[in-house]
Amino acid sequence: MGSIWTREHIISLADFLPAEYDIVLQTAASFQEVLSRRVKKVPTLQGQVVANLFFEPSTRTRNSFELAAKRLSADTLSFAPASSSLTKGETILDTAKTYLAMGTNIMVIRHREAGVPQAIAQEMDRLQSQVSVLNAGDGQHEHPSQALLDLFTICSVLEPKQPKIELLQNKKVTIVGDILHSRVARSNIWSLTAAGAEVHLAGPPTLLPKLFADWVSENQANSAIPERKLFLHWDVEPALKDADFVMTLRLQRERMTQHLLPSLREYHQRYGITRARLKLCKSGVKVLHPGPVNRGVEISSDLMDDPEFSLISQQVTSGVAIRMALLYLIGGAKS
Amino acid sequence: MNELLQQVRILDPVSGTDKTADVLIIDGYIKAVENQIYEFPSDIQMRNCHDLILGPGLVDLYSHSGEPGFEERETLESLQKAAISGGFTRLAILPNTSPPIDNPAAVAKLQKNSPRLIPWGAITQGVQGQQMTEMAELADAGVVGFADGKPIVNLALLRRVLEYLQPLGKPIALWASYPELVGNGVMREGADSIRFGLSGNPAIGETSALAALLEVVAAVGTPVHIMRVSTARSVQLIEDARSRGLPITASTTWMHLLLDTEAIASYHPSLRLEPPLGTPNDRLALRRGIKQGIIDAIAIDHTPYTYEEKTVAFSEAPPGAIGLELALPLLWQNLVATGEFSPLELWRLLSTRPAECLQQTPPTINPGSPAELTLFSPQETWQVNINNLCSLSANTPWLGKELTGRIVQTWC
Repeated sequence: MGSIWTREHIISLADFLPAEYDIVLQTAASFQEVLSRRVKKVPTLQGQVVANLFFEPSTRTRNSFELAAKRLSADTLSFAPASSSLTKGETILDTAKTYLAMGTNIMVIRHREAGVPQAIAQEMDRLQSQVSVLNAGDGQHEHPSQALLDLFTICSVLEPKQPKIELLQNKKVTIVGDILHSRVARSNIWSLTAAGAEVHLAGPPTLLPKLFADWVSENQANSAIPERKLFLHWDVEPALKDADFVMTLRLQRERMTQHLLPSLREYHQRYGITRARLKLCKSGVKVLHPGPVNRGVEISSDLMDDPEFSLISQQVTSGVAIRMALLYLIGGAKS
Repeated sequence: MNELLQQVRILDPVSGTDKTADVLIIDGYIKAVENQIYEFPSDIQMRNCHDLILGPGLVDLYSHSGEPGFEERETLESLQKAAISGGFTRLAILPNTSPPIDNPAAVAKLQKNSPRLIPWGAITQGVQGQQMTEMAELADAGVVGFADGKPIVNLALLRRVLEYLQPLGKPIALWASYPELVGNGVMREGADSIRFGLSGNPAIGETSALAALLEVVAAVGTPVHIMRVSTARSVQLIEDARSRGLPITASTTWMHLLLDTEAIASYHPSLRLEPPLGTPNDRLALRRGIKQGIIDAIAIDHTPYTYEEKTVAFSEAPPGAIGLELALPLLWQNLVATGEFSPLELWRLLSTRPAECLQQTPPTINPGSPAELTLFSPQETWQVNINNLCSLSANTPWLGKELTGRIVQTWC
């Protein structure tokens, strides 16, 4: 397990290869099994320090990483921006170097702006520190662990014992909502298309600009991955037709003041996921949401709680196993 | 000091000269330019200039000083040293200092301390884009021309400024940018901004403002210099306006000619510029623009920021990068060494044409002319680091990199 893993940092899924996805899924499956035991802890990262540097406040993702690290017996440190020195003239690199000096092995980094985990990873490499950096969400750029847990959740639905990406071959996955501002969507586009799924994006033109098609087609040629199948829709119905999985995204209220949408009401009418709309999908369709959900905006409130459709709580559970897998692969596997 | 430069390659865009000769400099003037000079004073210092290039001093259309207000970024003294170290003999500085250069006293103070630096006078009080400065007084005080270094959104104000300026006979430099369209965009909107997850600044943020500006210029008739041209469509608009005889000149910056959105994959905060780096297509169009004379000049737009100010996320970085000490070597390597531009073409874009855009007599290499010269070694290599820069700031993506080409000496 993990024998061909060579990646030191996990910043983006843009250049992830099919074999790497499979390693992550298999590793997560074995940790999922650990989590079902009576003693849900393994000594894999004993003596290692995992620092959660969350420059942007987050409770759910931070707790998920913290629990994952603890289940692997790592020591954890947390950085909270409210009590930080960032307002006192310290730079992001100064903060990272402080945690390096404390002997941190893995830095899990979230920042409200794109590029910060990459900048810190570059600095750690420049210092030849051996520290691994894991992007826990940077601005509108990427959120690799979320996309990987989505992938794991979907594959586990298709084949609980042996999740692997080939299960997604020619499956239709529809992502609905504010694609433009979504780091979750960007990472998911990379992972799902690499797995061979047909990915359909749906949203109003202001939140789903045509540039998304250019972005993927421009990154087609220089990749070891077979042709990525990505489709854009400004009407939600054709996007949902015969879909196997539907992923909805959180809609921020501030989009109204940016001239991107007239109202949440009209958004829900045109793009909200409802029972009626799910009838367009394949029978047995499942719905995912990265959370937190605006009930009644991106998805009807009752659908969210309906286990026949909703995978939302499985996503949260999968999150811990996936994050254990990622910490293990970049931390434990190489030492 | 009296000097004899022996067998130096002379590039003089004013006379179209590209030849190897001896140059005699006596008491700050060019005394003689001949194939071989045999007669010279006994106290002369001789220099063998094999493989070196001598051109007229470089002229920068617009750059930023830190002083007054932000002396930790750059003082007038460090700015002047950086300019000389980069081969620049004339440097026009933008008025958006703190306090801004919007009154004659500010101009006088600046000129007293640093005669090589010539200020642009502010167009609007406090460079706030609201109320016209006392432009006639500023003109008398010796400003090189008028610029805010920021967009002027109010077209009614802009129209009156251009009318009022007519009898003053000074250049005006305007930056076409429409802030509402730019929004919170930090890089050129396109497939790369989507990929990098950075807010997009659309090309129409520049071109819509430029189209409106050109209409005002056509109606009023005052000559205008358009600064910081950064999009392919802007090059077309300017080409079209010039073909209709509009009295405009234009410049782009050296960074926009060398880099494009692809470079932002590194998220290097010094690549955050305003206007932002263009797409690869924009960059090629800008190169075509300077090659064909649609865009007259290359500006440096040197913008110093301290390490603390720039060591932040890309989106949070204040826009701008230093350039005075890096521009000539990097432009030479990328435009001349590749054969895309002749040495004379590049020198014209960095010396002769910028001076003409400022309505000044360009420096030239002629017997009898003041020695306003730059001696350049295209082969010498050096490393960009804090110790090798005269600028107090080091906000550049080339920090730590090795460059080929170095300024040997500047006479000014």
